[in-house]
Amino acid sequence: MLTNLNKYKENFKHYTELRLQENKSFSVGLLNGSLVSNSESSESGVSSRVFSGGSWGFSSNAEINDSTIGRVINASSENASFLNKKSKSSCGLILPEDIYNYELNLSTNKNKNSNAYWISFIKDLDNYIENKYKNVSSRRIFMSSLDMEKNLITSIGSESYSLTPRALLYIVLTVNNNGEPTELMDVFGGLGQLEDNFINVEYYYSKIDELVDKLIKKSNGVHARAGYRDVVLDADLAGILAHEAIGHTAEADFVLGGSVAKENLNQKVASESITLVDYAHSINDKICPVPVYVDDEGTQAKDVTIIENGILKKYMHNKDTAHELNMDLTGNARAYKFSDEPLIRMRNTAIKKGKDKLKDMIASIDDGYYLTRSSNGQADSTGEFMFGVVMGYEIKNGKIAQAIKDTTISGIAFDVLKTVSMISDEMAWSSGGMCGKKQLIPVGMGGPAIKCKLNIGGR
Amino acid sequence: MELKDMLSYAIERLKKKGIDKIQGIIGESEKKELQVETGKKISLFRTTFQNYLNLYGIKDNKRSSISINKIDKESIDISIEKLVKNIKTSEIDESNSIADKQSYEEFTTPSLDPDLDTMYNRLDEFNDYVNQEHKTIILEAATLDHIKSNSHLMNSNGLDFLVNKGSYNCAAMFTAKDKSRTSSFNYSGYSASNLKLQIKDRAYLSELLHQSNEQLNITNLDNKFTGKILVTPHCLPDFLSFIEYSIGDGGIISGNSIYQDKVNKVIANKKFSLSSLPLSNKIDCGYSIDSDGYKAQNLDIIKDGVLKSLILSQYAAHKTNRARVSNDGGCHMVLKGTKSFQEMIKDIDHGILLCRFSGGSPSDNGDFSGVAKNSYYIENGEIKHPVSETMISGNIAQMFMNIGDISNETIDFGDEVLPWISFDGITVS
Repeated sequence: MLTNLNKYKENFKHYTELRLQENKSFSVGLLNGSLVSNSESSESGVSSRVFSGGSWGFSSNAEINDSTIGRVINASSENASFLNKKSKSSCGLILPEDIYNYELNLSTNKNKNSNAYWISFIKDLDNYIENKYKNVSSRRIFMSSLDMEKNLITSIGSESYSLTPRALLYIVLTVNNNGEPTELMDVFGGLGQLEDNFINVEYYYSKIDELVDKLIKKSNGVHARAGYRDVVLDADLAGILAHEAIGHTAEADFVLGGSVAKENLNQKVASESITLVDYAHSINDKICPVPVYVDDEGTQAKDVTIIENGILKKYMHNKDTAHELNMDLTGNARAYKFSDEPLIRMRNTAIKKGKDKLKDMIASIDDGYYLTRSSNGQADSTGEFMFGVVMGYEIKNGKIAQAIKDTTISGIAFDVLKTVSMISDEMAWSSGGMCGKKQLIPVGMGGPAIKCKLNIGGR
Repeated sequence: MELKDMLSYAIERLKKKGIDKIQGIIGESEKKELQVETGKKISLFRTTFQNYLNLYGIKDNKRSSISINKIDKESIDISIEKLVKNIKTSEIDESNSIADKQSYEEFTTPSLDPDLDTMYNRLDEFNDYVNQEHKTIILEAATLDHIKSNSHLMNSNGLDFLVNKGSYNCAAMFTAKDKSRTSSFNYSGYSASNLKLQIKDRAYLSELLHQSNEQLNITNLDNKFTGKILVTPHCLPDFLSFIEYSIGDGGIISGNSIYQDKVNKVIANKKFSLSSLPLSNKIDCGYSIDSDGYKAQNLDIIKDGVLKSLILSQYAAHKTNRARVSNDGGCHMVLKGTKSFQEMIKDIDHGILLCRFSGGSPSDNGDFSGVAKNSYYIENGEIKHPVSETMISGNIAQMFMNIGDISNETIDFGDEVLPWISFDGITVS
């Protein structure tokens, strides 16, 4: 990619963001030992976004050269002009400004392995499962990577370069119990390229053993009893609660769209033990799964403490919403592809860890559930959320009892957070979070385990 | 060089590199998109220009693929080198293949070029309509776009297709808000070959906006019960997708599908017939070619409750020794029933009108559970009130066996046409 975009600044007539971006991805996958995926892709291009007269114009082109860069800058200006000519209310609005420069390159220092190496890596895992676990009826093992490289300048002076890689390994296994299939998945990896994430194939043998053990328990498991229950949500579910149920309602575009967070600013929305943060890039100098130092509007990315000691304190913003609500910029505007405009997106969202021990949290419940893995989640403007739960256990008299079959949990986010009575002292990030909101984007989510009350589906 | 020449060049070069079977698609697309955010004026206009080249090669039954969005000779040469290397180090699988030769054909849809002024006017009038006629509604986001593309599909068997496409796509997401009361968000959208109709008159949008206002006043259900749900056309795809996954490549190759050996056997109530009609004039925005590179065909999936066909790609068909179909699924058409929506409501003593479903992925055996969103309680043949915090659970395979009725009204989403269907035996809690 071109590194110096400053020479194009002379083409800027209005507030302008000029971004070059390349997304490189790789995927290999086995289904019952057959190689069903073996592909590489690269998608790159240039985009320009202009703000003028209260309207945004955006244009992008897959070709990157002086001519196309000039063309997209002009086209984005013309698009804003088109809207201003049509509109009855164009105005000389000025957006909040923030200038920040940063360079981030998280590519590996190791020699890159070939596709053949990674195929043999997953074949090794597949052979391990096939040879050791004859009762596993179906095996899906996929490995993928995404390197997102961005180069941005803005007309007001921000400049940034970032290469943020993510590499993931998915293992999905099925057993048949009396003709009834039961499936369970685990995901490994995260920030970094394949070479930095997957060093030793033997390391995953014990992970597979754990996965099969859980799968067998689940296949012999019971249906959860539907109703309002005491539960301990492990980090995977606490993370999706933070992201889906709370985080989305505090995205300022959702707030302006009517989310329940609108009338709850500076109100008590959770128990005092809850502090929930969208971390920009690191916690105590330890880098998060999706580090963002400068967002795609050129704003410095800062941590956003959404809930502090139970009080809803802040929203996440782009330039538009920070202006509209007269609040500070936060650096949450991100785009997935070169051809996408930046939207308000979370970065790394988690509840801060507490002081309780997980074993004490489980021991404190007479009749409830310990839920450890989610499949998907959806939230609502009302704060009502739903998560699929694909692994969990009954808690009986303070002890883990039988595993449960797939189920769903739901609740009203702020109501559920008010029931949080214990928070564990350990924190973990989930691997592989992707958020869909017009565009997909990698996100980090995680947290400690929390004890709360919510609705669980079942029979 | 023209697009077709670039693809021919890539195929010839791969042949010279010793690759046995090659298939590729090359194309360019242009998108124009207008967007409204939070009920304000149209505030974003995007134009994007994209190229794409996907190459797929097989040598000695080993395969790999590569895709790039550059169509210059240098980029193509680099990707060919990578592809050849990746094919050679791939795994032997005798199921790998490319499409057979078919006679040259050009496929062209209407609306190749966008009418930008009409796009603006349609979105602007919809925004005005919402602001004026639905005072409590906040239009969180509404987009209207037009995507135009032309692409060539060719392979080393002599396949040569040209596809010129153009269509409009509209999506709207909205919430009702009245002081501190907030409805669940709702959304709808459609694809179309023209903009003759107003947005409010497509995809049931004006009715959904009205419903969102009603949903400011919600009531919890007191009791758990087992009863009927009446699933709306907007919500039906959540359940149809289970069937389509289970009869598709993933479900059949893995061996996990409950429909594995059910072709020509009853899997649904005899009132239920489901087709995929990508070529029908009843489907405004279908497709001409399937993902294997065969000219698409319409397909009866379920007829009178009997599963008529799986939806397998060429690879999955070879792998499982079953029949390939020239159809990628989608473009669903469910055979209409005889009763009106209102008559179906009258037949329900105790149930839920399920307008949106927020649920976890169903298990391979069809078990599902999730939250009924934007939905209503039905009692003694009447819609009583919108519900909150209501979960439903059941088994999708069993649901389709337990169909009560299918409406004689449908909603046309441009890429599928669906009715209301009532299902019995669902747990509501």
